[in-house]
Amino acid sequence: MLGKDKNMNSVVIKGNKYGISIVMDEALEYEAIKEELKQKLLASKKFFKKASMAVSFEGKQLSDEEQYELVSIIEENSEMSIVCIMDNDPLKEEQFKTLVENVTAPVVEEIVEPMPQPQMVTESIINDSGQFYKGTLRSGQSLESATSIVILGDVNPGANIVANGNIVILGTLKGNAYAGANGNENAIVVALEMQPMQIRIADIIARCADKPEKAKNPTAKIAFVEDGNIYIEKLDKDIIADINL
Amino acid sequence: MSEVIVVTSGKGGVGKTTTSANVGTGLAKLDKKVVLIDTDIGLRNLDVVMGLENRIVYNLVDCVEGNCRIKQALIKDKRYPNLYLLPSAQTRDKNSVNPEQMIKLVEELKEEFDYIILDCPAGIEQGFKNAIAAADRALVVTTPEVSAIRDADRIIGLLEANELKRSDLIVNRLRMDMVKRGDMMSIDDVVDILSINLIGAVPDDENIVVSTNNGEPLVGNDSLAGQAYLNICKRIMGEEVPLLDLNAKTGFFRKLFKKN
Repeated sequence: MLGKDKNMNSVVIKGNKYGISIVMDEALEYEAIKEELKQKLLASKKFFKKASMAVSFEGKQLSDEEQYELVSIIEENSEMSIVCIMDNDPLKEEQFKTLVENVTAPVVEEIVEPMPQPQMVTESIINDSGQFYKGTLRSGQSLESATSIVILGDVNPGANIVANGNIVILGTLKGNAYAGANGNENAIVVALEMQPMQIRIADIIARCADKPEKAKNPTAKIAFVEDGNIYIEKLDKDIIADINL
Repeated sequence: MSEVIVVTSGKGGVGKTTTSANVGTGLAKLDKKVVLIDTDIGLRNLDVVMGLENRIVYNLVDCVEGNCRIKQALIKDKRYPNLYLLPSAQTRDKNSVNPEQMIKLVEELKEEFDYIILDCPAGIEQGFKNAIAAADRALVVTTPEVSAIRDADRIIGLLEANELKRSDLIVNRLRMDMVKRGDMMSIDDVVDILSINLIGAVPDDENIVVSTNNGEPLVGNDSLAGQAYLNICKRIMGEEVPLLDLNAKTGFFRKLFKKN
């Protein structure tokens, strides 16, 4: 009985927040580990279900080939798909987390406030359509999006918004807006009040006049590219009809 | 022979950035080729005071990290073609740059410019160390207040410890009416405490506020502060210029105000 128990625990599958770690007995042969892992997976197939996971191997040094072989065993004998193999290093926990979350969570619910991060660049959003952000973007803050972004608030001078898609600001744009950052010249920037320091669309940069006049009755405006220049126009029906998204 | 000058003070809000902008512009006005470098990473201001904020594409950190060539980051001034600004990054912090990188950057700029003016951030931490690393000489800015003087004294000590060849003092925001009443330290009192060479005194002048807000340095115009800054520039270049008689003009201003 005792011997069997020991045998059963020579390969242990532990779950953590972002995936699983396979804890192996140092003394066990690689071939035996393979077999043991297979059994364990089949036994707990229902438990793991269909999920994207990261995996780490602990307890025994494995070569790269061995690790890949174990990954394919895991994928064959369960419905899990392994996103990556992680070194068992607590410092890499953060990478671990990001990788898995990007795959498992197509919609990131919250954009992290840029302030506490040393680079002041918020997490990129992995999404096809767009994202909302509520709050004032202040000087030195930078918001980056892999898609389009809607800001519910103002963008102050010295703040940056960078988006691969379009930028819509339901507030005043006084800072820098960089739409179509991946080279898309069809990208647009819309703001309820347009007093930008700079607008960039794809590779084209426009800056404000040195002595900007204050509009008495600010209206919503749109910035777009035509013939290699950035134009800012009142947002009216004719303009909207011309937009190619 | 180019000269690298750091404008520093220790204490914040005494006029480092204003002084940098005016000295840089003044030297350009006197036909020198000048580059202003804002080393206050994360709290950049010099571009705003110079009225060049809307032209920023690349910055100091981009240069240091090799994201761009130095020439790409230099912004040509809108008034003087021989004046350039290397703006600081706003979305990064002081630790993005180290003293060795600053020295390397300045060495490259030395080939092209007569004067390199480094606008130092407040404090004595990383930003300060970056700014003074490459400097040949310093302009220490202080106001006639004990707190500013205390910090200036500390800064002068640090500059000496870093073996800067030369430190000169600018007493900023002087109000002669208060000095006369005995409510403010005089230039002599300040120089007495800090015992370094005085290179100029700048009176408190409301034109400074206007010029800052408009992004137009006032050096060389007929305001008292504008004259004081131009004199400082001439002294930096080695000319002997007598100190402005701040009294006389202040008296004139006071008369003006009384009339109103």
